[in-house]
Amino acid sequence: MQKYDYTKYRFKPKAEILALLDGYKKIYIISCNKCFNELTTDAEPEIAELTQILNEGGKTTAGFMPVDFLCNKFLTEKTILNIKKDIAAADAVAVISCGIGTQTVAGELNVPVLTVCDSLDQGGQHGISLGLQKCGACGECYLSLTGGICPVVNCSKELINGACGGAKQGKCEVSKDKDCAWENIFNRLTLQGRQDLLLSQPPKIRNYNLNSAEIIENYVKNIQAKRNEGFYGGIYPEENKELTSGKAIQKIKYPETVCIPMLQNAGATCEPLVKPGDKVKAGQKIGEAKANISAVVHSSVSGEVISVEQRRHPLMPFSVLSVIIKSDNKLELDPSVKSKGSLESCSKDDILLAVKNAGIVGMGGAQFPTHIKLASSKPLDTVLLNGCECEPMLNTDNRLMLERPEQIITGLKLLMKAAGVDKGIIAVEDNKPEAANILREKLAAETKIKVAVVKTKYPQGAERMLIKRILGREVPRGGLPLDVGVLVNNIATANAVYEAVYLGRPLISRIVTIAGSGVANPGNYEIPIGMLVSDIVKSCGIIIPENFELKMGGALMGFPQSNFEVPVIKGTNGIVVVQKKDVLREEACIKCGRCVNVCPMELKPHKLVYYAKAGNWSRSEQEGVMNCIECGCCEDICSSKSEMVEIFKKSKKMLREMKINANNRS
Amino acid sequence: MLITEVKKKENILPFIKGKALFIVCLGCKEVYFPEKEYLMLKAELKTAGVDINNEIKLDYLCNEDYTKDRFAIHKNEINCAETVIVFSCGVGVQVFSGLLPDKKVIPGCDSLYVPGFSGFTPSSYDCGQCGECVIGITAGICPVKSCSKGLLNGQCGGAKKGKCEVSKNKDCGWEKIFNRMAALKENDGKLKSTIKIRNYNK
Amino acid sequence: MRFTELTKMGRFVITSELGPPKGFHIEKALHESEIVWPYVHAINVTDNQSSVMRLGGLAVCKMLKDKGIEPVFQVTCRDRNRLALQSDILSAALFGIENMLLLTGDHTTLGDHKDAKPVFDLDSVSLAHMVKKMEEGKDLAGNLLDGEPPKFCKGAVVSPCSEPLEPQLFKMEKKIKAGIEFFQTQAVYEADKFEKFMKRVKEFGVPVYVGIVVLKSAGMAKFMNENVAGIHVPENLIEELKKDKEKTKSGQTGVEIAARLIKELKPLCQGAHIMPLGWDDKVPKILELSGIKAEK
Repeated sequence: MQKYDYTKYRFKPKAEILALLDGYKKIYIISCNKCFNELTTDAEPEIAELTQILNEGGKTTAGFMPVDFLCNKFLTEKTILNIKKDIAAADAVAVISCGIGTQTVAGELNVPVLTVCDSLDQGGQHGISLGLQKCGACGECYLSLTGGICPVVNCSKELINGACGGAKQGKCEVSKDKDCAWENIFNRLTLQGRQDLLLSQPPKIRNYNLNSAEIIENYVKNIQAKRNEGFYGGIYPEENKELTSGKAIQKIKYPETVCIPMLQNAGATCEPLVKPGDKVKAGQKIGEAKANISAVVHSSVSGEVISVEQRRHPLMPFSVLSVIIKSDNKLELDPSVKSKGSLESCSKDDILLAVKNAGIVGMGGAQFPTHIKLASSKPLDTVLLNGCECEPMLNTDNRLMLERPEQIITGLKLLMKAAGVDKGIIAVEDNKPEAANILREKLAAETKIKVAVVKTKYPQGAERMLIKRILGREVPRGGLPLDVGVLVNNIATANAVYEAVYLGRPLISRIVTIAGSGVANPGNYEIPIGMLVSDIVKSCGIIIPENFELKMGGALMGFPQSNFEVPVIKGTNGIVVVQKKDVLREEACIKCGRCVNVCPMELKPHKLVYYAKAGNWSRSEQEGVMNCIECGCCEDICSSKSEMVEIFKKSKKMLREMKINANNRS
Repeated sequence: MLITEVKKKENILPFIKGKALFIVCLGCKEVYFPEKEYLMLKAELKTAGVDINNEIKLDYLCNEDYTKDRFAIHKNEINCAETVIVFSCGVGVQVFSGLLPDKKVIPGCDSLYVPGFSGFTPSSYDCGQCGECVIGITAGICPVKSCSKGLLNGQCGGAKKGKCEVSKNKDCGWEKIFNRMAALKENDGKLKSTIKIRNYNK
Repeated sequence: MRFTELTKMGRFVITSELGPPKGFHIEKALHESEIVWPYVHAINVTDNQSSVMRLGGLAVCKMLKDKGIEPVFQVTCRDRNRLALQSDILSAALFGIENMLLLTGDHTTLGDHKDAKPVFDLDSVSLAHMVKKMEEGKDLAGNLLDGEPPKFCKGAVVSPCSEPLEPQLFKMEKKIKAGIEFFQTQAVYEADKFEKFMKRVKEFGVPVYVGIVVLKSAGMAKFMNENVAGIHVPENLIEELKKDKEKTKSGQTGVEIAARLIKELKPLCQGAHIMPLGWDDKVPKILELSGIKAEK
């Protein structure tokens, strides 16, 4: 497709610029990286050009700042704060930008702000892509009557009742290069056999009051408020929670065989404690932690170990050592599975030990060993339970809150005691009002724990976002919640902690939402760790339609599985079938600015992609790629179909390796 | 920037013949696409007897290359439809119908305009794309867009309590300009001495 | 006669206003104008006032002229682009019209054709500038006009009781620079505010004819306070209107207030422009009561 350059502005004539700047000597330049043309360079040649003009006019520059998307008020405010001192040293600020960027800057400063550019009339709205077609935003689309050719943007007179008498040889009277739009319309309708449509319509009159100030202003205010709610950025994907929100937790029919990987945590792989032929009981430890950051693994069934071998892992690109057990269908419990006490009887250390021995890891998906988090030496004051479940389609935390609120609350209290804090918060997104109400009811008498209801927006459930929203604290870049005194845990993790202490039950099963197209029996199932997806597919009657795929995890951040011989692990919160994204090749970045609009970490994803492709790792680091939380908002909205999350993962890996190499050398 | 409103049933129904294919462009759904209204309309059309053969959710229909690729992926659904209804802004509909000139392609939405060019959060300011920017002498506020009448030579007599005669929710653009000039202690000499007349032929 | 000449002669210029009908039957309007004519120097003819479609002002001005009544041709920028405006200005010259009032015009959304496209190709300032150019023998694009150029007495509007006042003063100065020679103001009900305003604009040296809008009821006053730009009816007048409902309904209170205002404001300015808003028959009464009549 021919890409049109929709740069929004060009320099005013030199004489006009100098006349405008008359009386000002020291000028600070702010230049906007032009949107809507291909990102081929991050240089700003206009700054040099303007500097030269200024020098010719006997003026000096007090400094300059190239900015991406000046019109992004939120981010521009921050940029300007950083350069306020330099601006104060100048007489005036010259802005190289379209009228929107200029006004945004002027709105933030108390010094004269001058524009040195004129905006270009695009002749209608060109949409996101750099194509030829434009829309007149008339509010009463005529395309049904014109075979898909817009008369408002394509006819010089914006006529809507047919051609005027001015066309000659198919060209408009305004210019020999311009087609007569109405001739094109007539030809197109004839091609479709609909030419009498034009005659049969009554005369049409434009309504110029549709883009009314009232409607548009309200719309703009509402959207701006919505977008900036809670945290900057984020997206609102289709939730599709109704598929399973009303389905109570049910047990799945346990399979014949389970495959339990020795790696179900962030950190090191465990060492198997069993060998083929061994008889095992449910809850028996079968994998020992061999490093600090690791978590023990237990058998989820009773039966016999068939093999200990490398097997496909749902998350890792490599195989992982796994223990394959044939179930005897008896579910005999290991003697170690007995209550360790209660909230009152257990000490802080008792709880820590119980959690460690139960092999509990973060069940929201990160799978970080919980006992390590709890034993942190950093000063803590709050435990935050994440009940947001902001991923579309998932309902595991939702159902747990609805059906086992007391267990969740007790689990939270255990975590609080283990962490040595006396404040607890359960965060619930506002699309789960019942869960919030039940928890509130159960917490009515509590003074130290409260429910915080937050607006539903992805990725609200990400730790940083929650902590900012609820506690108003900013986790430092590159840091952890522990750095600001907060311990964040998942709802299912709290439930597992409860079971570990009160029932002595290690982490051997979990709730998984199974839903999507082609799922005959969707629901929230309690599934044994190690059950293969292939068995679940049979159990839940899943037939994957054409153009759909199965993901483990949520609809957004889940991992697509091409092979179903992979097991459910401790962090598996969902098995969903979703429409496959049409495979479209990546195009050049056109600086549409949408990724910058949605990045909750306030990064510039388009620039990070640019630097990654250029191999400019130092700039990648400067621009903050290490702070990317891989939420996928940018990728979801990218109009050039860039696989940004993959690119950022690679950038981070590159930077980590470079650091290790540097450390090794020094 | 463009936003879309789903058309009323009466404005779409007369144009639908035979099997209908619904194409939904979600590239702009963050701000522009009215999902609830779309679902309601879909139900209404179904009740009215429209044979909704297929519904495909796509994005960035405005990108001609992608749309071409999508035609290949979804050619079965497109071929067996007699009417294709595209729920997107006018750009998307035109791209789609331009690639299928002999098929009846109709819009399911009306497009309106909100201020802003890049990203998708509408901006608080707007640019009239007039090609003769005066912001430098109007204290950084565009009179073409912030004044409902687009006046360039100062306030009309219609403002009441700082609000434009067009809407009590809209500030008088020229009062905003004057207030800011006073705050910046800028003198209005340049504004006073020139009479501005728009050049619409840029 | 040109207003500026009247003012030079020391006359207190008095004008009234006529809103054309929504149709082309003009007898009633002409008849009412004939009654008012002895008392005033000229009668303004409004141009689709408040963006409500009405019979064309140019045609009505011509009808008045034929009856020997001096019209003031009001021109707004809402409905016509610069071509049509120049055309109409020339037509006005053809009909011998001398005084005109040049305005920007209310927005279309205020009237009865809310869907219409507002033109505003020009505004009051650029319109004045354009007329001046024509008086110098050229059209706006710089082309020479055929024959003797037209000559007018060009007026504009200002709102003395506007809050804030600065933007209005700015515009007033700009209008004068563009060639405006007199001002008819938006309705004034407060002498002190008007006095302050007149002090500010004295240096411009341009005659100001104060606007008088007849108050028909307390409700109308309250409505204007809420909704009409540049107008403020003070509490004491609203009380006066409320006091005797019958008197107000008959129009007598409104007439008395108007007459009082003219008397009070006369020393401060160079004329009065009465906007009867349909009560054209009361104009003679008002002027008799105020003791002021147009010296022709």
